[in-house]
Amino acid sequence: MAMPSYTITINNVKKNVSADPDTPLLWIIRDLLELTGTKFGCGKGLCGACTVHYQGQPVRSCTLPINAALDGGITTIEGLSEQQSHPVQQAWMELDVPQCGYCQSGQIMAAASLLSKNENPTNDDIEAAMEGHLCRCGTYSRIREAIQLAATKKKK
Amino acid sequence: MKSKLHRRTFMKLTTVASGALIAGVYLQSCGADHPLATEHVFSPLIKIDTEGWVTLIAKNPEIGQGVKTALPMILAEELGAAWDKVRVVQGDYDTAYEEQWAGGSYAIILNWDLMRTAGAKVRQVLLQVAAKRMGKAVSELSTRNGEVQHVKSGETLPFGALLAEASKIPLPETVEFKPMDAFEIVGKRIPQIDLDQLVNGEMQYGIDIKLPGMVYATVLKNPVFEGGSGTWDATRARAVNGLIDILELDNKTYGGRLLASNSPNFVNGIAVVANSTWAAFKAAGELEVSWDETGTRKENTDGIFERFRAQLDDTMIEREDGDIAAARRKAASNYEAVYEVPFLAHVPMEPMNCTVDFREDGCEVWAPTQNPEALQKGLIKLFGLAPEQIKIHLPRIGGAFGRRYYVDYAMDTAILSKKMGRPVKLTWTREADIQHDWYRPASVHKMEASLNGNGQVTGWRHVLANASRKTSLGREGRPAGTEIDPYEFPAGFVPDLRLEYGHVLSDVPLGQWRAVGHSATAFAVHSFLDELAHWNKRDPMDYFLEFLGPARMVPVVDDYAFDAGRSIAVVEKVRQLSNWGSPLPAGQGRGFAACKGAGSFVAEVVTVSVGTNGKIRIVRVDAVVDCGIVVNRSGAEAQVEGGILEGLSAALYGEITVQDGTAEQSNFHDYRWMRMGETPEMHIEFIQNDLPPRGLGEPPLPPAAPALANAIFAATGQRIRKLPIRKIER
Repeated sequence: MAMPSYTITINNVKKNVSADPDTPLLWIIRDLLELTGTKFGCGKGLCGACTVHYQGQPVRSCTLPINAALDGGITTIEGLSEQQSHPVQQAWMELDVPQCGYCQSGQIMAAASLLSKNENPTNDDIEAAMEGHLCRCGTYSRIREAIQLAATKKKK
Repeated sequence: MKSKLHRRTFMKLTTVASGALIAGVYLQSCGADHPLATEHVFSPLIKIDTEGWVTLIAKNPEIGQGVKTALPMILAEELGAAWDKVRVVQGDYDTAYEEQWAGGSYAIILNWDLMRTAGAKVRQVLLQVAAKRMGKAVSELSTRNGEVQHVKSGETLPFGALLAEASKIPLPETVEFKPMDAFEIVGKRIPQIDLDQLVNGEMQYGIDIKLPGMVYATVLKNPVFEGGSGTWDATRARAVNGLIDILELDNKTYGGRLLASNSPNFVNGIAVVANSTWAAFKAAGELEVSWDETGTRKENTDGIFERFRAQLDDTMIEREDGDIAAARRKAASNYEAVYEVPFLAHVPMEPMNCTVDFREDGCEVWAPTQNPEALQKGLIKLFGLAPEQIKIHLPRIGGAFGRRYYVDYAMDTAILSKKMGRPVKLTWTREADIQHDWYRPASVHKMEASLNGNGQVTGWRHVLANASRKTSLGREGRPAGTEIDPYEFPAGFVPDLRLEYGHVLSDVPLGQWRAVGHSATAFAVHSFLDELAHWNKRDPMDYFLEFLGPARMVPVVDDYAFDAGRSIAVVEKVRQLSNWGSPLPAGQGRGFAACKGAGSFVAEVVTVSVGTNGKIRIVRVDAVVDCGIVVNRSGAEAQVEGGILEGLSAALYGEITVQDGTAEQSNFHDYRWMRMGETPEMHIEFIQNDLPPRGLGEPPLPPAAPALANAIFAATGQRIRKLPIRKIER
């Protein structure tokens, strides 16, 4: 069976891929485009490890089929900044947030999205934005602190 | 870890481990390249180049516990290296490295002296060369910041300038360690190695490996524990684009359910091979399978617990001090309670995976494993390979928690690569991960105490009944050995004491977990002590301190004694930190527990709020830890926070239930774990001392559940005797 071709815009670059229409964006990103910073955690949109930005919004790439991701740009962790210069990444490094690190791409993408819409997130705003992101190592306290730090960095 | 490098790396690191001199060679994987620098390999762990760059091998599997930073910190400290001129490279599996595994909170315990010795030997050689060059006595020199220094004159020589002569001097047999008051790296808050790659997506985990010609696979395992393989109808699966092959995985043809004692073989099932991970998942979902359930027990959790409870009356004695029957007769009162804890899964964020390139000349493996030695032995057993035909790379691991101590998923992968004749990356689904784990054993604990007229404990009986992980893993010896130890607290503290074990057989696969046995026994012991305190109308912290008695070494078993003084110190400090005894708002309560594990002492106070709807909110956790010397403050605090949250998450939500021999949970919607909004404020302090460092991955976990349950009692008067708690009926 021939597979359809799609053109997607990812990290500001147009890419052609052949895949079944129901293929989740996650596997296009990881297996075909070899951008492995976006992680597989659950396959059901339950843990947030696969979070990327689509049309500027955080989405779970493990449940978003490729044929529903054609109408806007996709940004993955690799495209968030040059040289990890995004304030969220800088704050993450300053506070040594990751433990195993596996969930952190998704956490960072969610945090970056929050701060792009809300310059002064309250604790409740942060918790609401990060609720869907599981970290098994328990880095939540440092994530919370890093988001607050990133917010102050952004204002500078 | 890119494919074009892997064969080169193989050769290079083999040479490194033999300790030979390599001139003009640089490691591409370390970031900055210095092709003009000449590098001297001093030992399997330490290389220095003429530019002064020090390359240290991080030899142990990095599972998020921070060893890739902490072990090189110890090396760098003894060597006197400048931390900003240190490169750290992950080592492959190599017996030259020794103690190359992750588990039991042992990394720092076992490697403290190994790392110090390795660093000190090289320092000694550099001092010798510098002494000759400067015309000074070795005793007047020291290393610091990548230089040999003569403090009196201010004269210095950088390491890089000493290499030509240093390379001709053999390492000394014995060394003296640096005095601890001169430490400049150990004890600092040092951000972990690789932070940039962890935040920009470049870090390669095992699941990210891609090799030329590689195919992708996933597995469907027999959902019934201890079942055989299956037969399948692939009509619908064959319609999936990208499907390559469907293969049976039957461990009967590979030596059975165990690779060795304590090392389970792969679980029976079916593998689906395709040209992408998604195609493999999709085709696997389309397979119609008839599973072989011959000889399985097809158990239910309710039935398992009933058998555990029944076994409380049919036990083996694991320890007996004095005469508990006499203590019972003489007692002013006797008190008893039964506690139950469930099976638990590990669910590391990175699902089980492995990549194997099985070639005619041998086998190259990229394995997220805590236990590369078991992996090597497994491959030798299954395929008759010689050790030198097996190359095991240790990519960074997205969490392990004991799950990756077992190498079943790597055996799956090796079989598939051999059968397919090409590299295979196997990725399990989250469903496979949760339903085919080696679970933390469930257990039932009957606790009995005899008390004198002052409410003091004179007799203690702890009966634990469960299915033992030792039996599940085919290990020799007493089945109780992994479940209740002769040195279980409070052995040594009560004159009349008996520890008993009731052994039940079950098909549920059992294994390690973070603080596996202690996570269960501590809940029973420290909930029970809290009950005794309340029964006697005493403050639980005061009662516990009185129970410990004066600061002294309490002989427990053979050469093991419990340092009551260190335990008292962490309790007293957590009393202050938590403002224990100060008033709390209505609906809130504080609970306390203090445990010793992996040589470390931890006291925790949990403050909880229980709403009128029964919803539990953990407000705050205070923890004081005495783990001896703290190697990396940042990593140490992270381990304590992580251990506490894991203990609390399991206590609140963690539970695997079994129906007809099958785990009922399958993903994060029904195997719940704490999220950010549930995370309490945490206050963590370490006791400062110069005692040798002890474990930190596990010890913060066991006190969390009893401290939480005790806090709920303080808040509501309701006693939690069964985990998980979920919510309180009000």
